[in-house]
Amino acid sequence: MSQVSRRQFLRTTAAGAAGAVALGRAPAHAQARELTFLSVASFVPDTDKELKRQFEEWGAKNKVKVRLDIIAHLQLQTKKAAEVQARSGHDLTALGPGLGDADLYFDYLADLNDVATDVAPKNGGWLNPDDYLIRGKWKLLPWWMPPFPMAVRTDLLEKLGEKNPDTWEDWLRIGKKGKAMGHPFGTAMGHSADANVTLLSILWSYGGTYIAKDGKTITLNSKETRAALDFVKRLYTEAMDPEVLAWDDASNNRCLNAGKCIGIHNPISAYESAKRDKVLVPGTQREISEVIDHIHTPRGPVARKATTGYWCVGVWNFSKNVDLAKDFLRYHFQPDNLGKWVEAGRGFNMPFLANLTKHAVYKSDKQYRFIPEVAKVSVPPSWPGPTTAASQQVLDLYIIPDMFAQHATGKMTADQAIAWAEKELQEIYAGRKRKP
Amino acid sequence: MSSGLGRIRPLFTLYMPLAPFVLFALFPLYFMVVTSFKTNAELYDVNAVPFWIKRGVTFGHYQLLSQDTLFWSWFVNSLLVSVAATIISVVIGILAAYPLARLRFPGGDSFGVAIFITYLVPPSLLFLPLTTVVNRLGLSDSLWSLVVTYPTFLVPFCTWLLLGYFRTVPKEIEECAMLDGCNRLQTLLRILLPVAVPGVICAALFAFTLSWNEFLYALVFVSPAELKTMTVGVYSELIRGDIYYWGGLMAGACIGSLPIVIAYVFFLDYYVSGLTAGAVK
Repeated sequence: MSQVSRRQFLRTTAAGAAGAVALGRAPAHAQARELTFLSVASFVPDTDKELKRQFEEWGAKNKVKVRLDIIAHLQLQTKKAAEVQARSGHDLTALGPGLGDADLYFDYLADLNDVATDVAPKNGGWLNPDDYLIRGKWKLLPWWMPPFPMAVRTDLLEKLGEKNPDTWEDWLRIGKKGKAMGHPFGTAMGHSADANVTLLSILWSYGGTYIAKDGKTITLNSKETRAALDFVKRLYTEAMDPEVLAWDDASNNRCLNAGKCIGIHNPISAYESAKRDKVLVPGTQREISEVIDHIHTPRGPVARKATTGYWCVGVWNFSKNVDLAKDFLRYHFQPDNLGKWVEAGRGFNMPFLANLTKHAVYKSDKQYRFIPEVAKVSVPPSWPGPTTAASQQVLDLYIIPDMFAQHATGKMTADQAIAWAEKELQEIYAGRKRKP
Repeated sequence: MSSGLGRIRPLFTLYMPLAPFVLFALFPLYFMVVTSFKTNAELYDVNAVPFWIKRGVTFGHYQLLSQDTLFWSWFVNSLLVSVAATIISVVIGILAAYPLARLRFPGGDSFGVAIFITYLVPPSLLFLPLTTVVNRLGLSDSLWSLVVTYPTFLVPFCTWLLLGYFRTVPKEIEECAMLDGCNRLQTLLRILLPVAVPGVICAALFAFTLSWNEFLYALVFVSPAELKTMTVGVYSELIRGDIYYWGGLMAGACIGSLPIVIAYVFFLDYYVSGLTAGAVK
């Protein structure tokens, strides 16, 4: 029996490992035509099932093996970063929340100008096409948004003798009265997507902005921002509980469904889960979903404006199946398919296409009646500036919620909070200059 | 009289002082179990006492896990990956720790410290470069990607732990074996390892626990639903947008904690003696 020396063993092992690395490709069984799609879990599971059905149907028609992978939305950033680093992974990917991913990953995303042009006319056109262009190009297709109406307890409003609240000042008044009887208003003011959405909505409704249309000039320091800061301070101290500083995206849902909050600024998810779980109004046998209503996002002294999570879909340019991926997008964005998908999501997932905002699902339940209206006044989080990696970073670092929270809790005066946020914004925009 | 006092003395000197610590340690587990059996309606009820079940027990969350998700596939995946990664890491750890503990060679001490420093590099820094390696090896979207990458943090840990343990074993017993004709490998296998069983079990338990709980690599390297490990699968399926399925999450956590509990119950004595080796000489 021949003996293998230690040196020979090491040499052979090293050569084998090097060979495997140098080979650098997937095993033969993985080389069949396969299209993969990474998406985020919808709060309505039927949405994912319908997407899967359409993906498989398209795959069967085109003789392509398909794989839809679903992850929680909080995991998406990590997954995308890894796929870009390795220049390998899924062909299609969800992008968001926000359009800024497309600027951040601009060099790794395939141009979708042709697909965007193809699908728009069949669906009545894009709602605001200029908002979705990144450096003048379609690097993503805006896919769906969950508009943010105001979810309100009708029985408590009745008790307070309040009717049809429509402005942020109305909500301050109602929240104040509600808090006195143990039912405060609730909106997140910590590091969560909801906090970004609601506090940006208030800033704009009071006439403030943080960036100009040119995407360079910081515009936060204004009397309008001061008015918004003072309003939020009153809202926090007079109408809310301090716990809102620690809220995540699920906390306001819990507050409403637990029968505590009189109103929250949120998509219809809280209502849908209350209905599904048959949650009762505390101390009664009445289902809480029966006393929840959804009304328009509030108006401020200057405007009625809101934002939301802009969920998009893109195709990695390192994918070997760019054309197949585009073909599936054309298939999914056909009016019929998109319509079925919106229906499966019970309107939570509103596409950015004019005809879909008039989908029958929004008339199927009175709870959904304001959703198309909210969508009309919803703008990207970078409004009025363009979407850039910097605007995404403003969201990701929660600059706006932190500014409001520091003033509301009395840690900073309005001027100090604005100065702090202005400095942060200047640094972000200086460090994230767009490529020429 | 004195024998009566003797009987109740441990109650005051041992059990009562220990009780708060035991309660503190067990509370999260208790809360997890209780929550997993509550109805969603009760979970939302602000008037309900959170520490016990008022409106009846439900098995709905466990049903949800078993029927609407691939939970048991994820459980098996976690088990396969953890066992394989643990075996590989402990074997490599033994082979690395032995020379560091017993042989004198230039840079030996620095090498030991270097291994420990490797353990301190967080996976959140390593996952990006490792993604490239996993892809180049053609292992992405397979359980092998985890079996191969988990030892990157398990081997330094096992080596460091075993290094300390091996040093507590008297060198003289190995020297006797060598005088009787054993070579290095035989000494390791026949003399040192049987004596070092508590240390090896301790390392294996830690390695298994770390693998079982691992999240980041499992998220990044494996995408297909049926190949996910339990940590990633439960999180992906039961956190949907701003809706958290708390009952299901707690049910998943309860089942997920069982293998660890069982392992520690069986090997507790070894574990304690492995950890405390060298404390008294």
